[in-house]
Amino acid sequence: MTLVADGRAFVAAIRKELRQLRRYPTWFFGSLFWPILLPAVYVLQGQAFSGNDPRAIDAFRSVTGTAEIAGFVFVGWALYMWLSIVLWGPGTALRNEQVRGTLEALFVTPSSRLVLLFGPPAAYLAMAGFQFVVMAVALRLLFGVELAPVALVRALAVIVLTVPAMYGIGALFATVALRSGEIGSLVQFVRGFFSLFCGITYPIVVLPDWARAIAQVLPPTYFVADARAVLLAGAALGDLLSDLGILLALGLAACALAAFAFTVAERGARRTGMLARY
Amino acid sequence: MAIAMKDLRQLGRYPLNLASLVFMPLYQGLIPSILFGAAFLVGGRALGLEAAVGSGDLAGFLFLGAVVSGVTASTFWGVAFGLRFELDAGTLEAVWLTPTRRDTLVLGRALSVGVVFLLTQAVLLVIGVFVFGAHFLPTALLALPALGLATISMIGVAYLLAAAVLLMKEANFFIDTTNFLTNVLSGTGFPITVLPGFFQALALLLPTTYALDILRHYAIGSRPLLDPLTEHAILVALAVVSFPVGRFVFERADRRLRRTGGLAQY
Repeated sequence: MTLVADGRAFVAAIRKELRQLRRYPTWFFGSLFWPILLPAVYVLQGQAFSGNDPRAIDAFRSVTGTAEIAGFVFVGWALYMWLSIVLWGPGTALRNEQVRGTLEALFVTPSSRLVLLFGPPAAYLAMAGFQFVVMAVALRLLFGVELAPVALVRALAVIVLTVPAMYGIGALFATVALRSGEIGSLVQFVRGFFSLFCGITYPIVVLPDWARAIAQVLPPTYFVADARAVLLAGAALGDLLSDLGILLALGLAACALAAFAFTVAERGARRTGMLARY
Repeated sequence: MAIAMKDLRQLGRYPLNLASLVFMPLYQGLIPSILFGAAFLVGGRALGLEAAVGSGDLAGFLFLGAVVSGVTASTFWGVAFGLRFELDAGTLEAVWLTPTRRDTLVLGRALSVGVVFLLTQAVLLVIGVFVFGAHFLPTALLALPALGLATISMIGVAYLLAAAVLLMKEANFFIDTTNFLTNVLSGTGFPITVLPGFFQALALLLPTTYALDILRHYAIGSRPLLDPLTEHAILVALAVVSFPVGRFVFERADRRLRRTGGLAQY
């Protein structure tokens, strides 16, 4: 199998996922509803917690670097929504193929295993992009937070640098889900883990030291912090070089780990015949 | 009783699911909210919350909200969507053919859900007190009649929702969104006074809003939305209306399903 043929298989895998998405348009309503309402609840909660007391707002500013509660929450929840797409979409793609009985057939094709592992996540990037736009528009229209065009371009750069990390997390999750078979509770657990440690709703400085140490090795922590820095604090990309370097390195490491875990899982599957089991 | 025992036995077979009933509210809502609230603390005091609701007990405020979230989740997912599980599993038609009253099916499920609710909430409140430092006054017991009245109303709502999920093809999104909106409007995570005007009006139609307000007033000394006596009277009125209305709609749905054969469709 040549690289060109693998490339064609990769594009075919993306097209297949997109076609399936198009067949179930109800996700579109969810994509409009949840990215706005979930963070909006925390914005209202923030308003109650601040009670419009300047001292409480100052306390918030001192730990987050911004007094913009809505912006702070929405940027964090943009990561949550992206994570949800990655876990429910590409993260469950292999398991869904297994449930439908098509996984074994895919494995006997001559295409690279990496196509199976990394093809579906590419299709879901468009969905994540759509939700980012929905959230930015909601932030502007509902909470009056205007994001400068230059800040949006910088945020786009942060998103691009986060893509390998999200790819890696999705692929790693897909491998684990394939072996465990218990998708729903696994998604809840993994998403809960990231939302507790990565500062989605609150700044990680309020976490105890041990939890902050864990947060430092999770790529989404850097995405949330850097996206907030460029969108809310006016930081330039040059100010975040070391953070962005760590983000990229952790992302590539996650991809390599996922590919390795998948190879091990595949070897085990060939021995036990679990590909065709449900 | 047999229905409740069957449901409890099924739940007991999946201990991880049982554990998640306690831990999901913790990591999905309570811990993020408490840590978010911690970002607003001034010298360890929740000044903003004190100004907004008259009590600075952040953990107490949120854990009591989780109690009412539990009532809503039990109603929406446990009772109403539980019937959908039977439909999806293909066993609902067989259950319907037994000489059991339809009410028994709904109320039996409500009983098992109620037992699980009491157990999980007891564990959550203990965690709230000993891990997160929530303080509850002994007068919290005075809120029990309000919770009882709200439960009667919510059984009426459960009848309504059960009718809806049996008639719908795609009930998951419906239950998920209505459960979420009910929690938001009831003020489980924040006082409803921060909601925009129209949503505040909607919130005042929900029994859970008053039950939670009374519970917080007696348990942590928060400022009530209305006089507690008035809130109790509204809860009585809502219970008197929602229970018979729910039953009536459920009976209509039952009749329609028997005519169309929808009980066996998936």
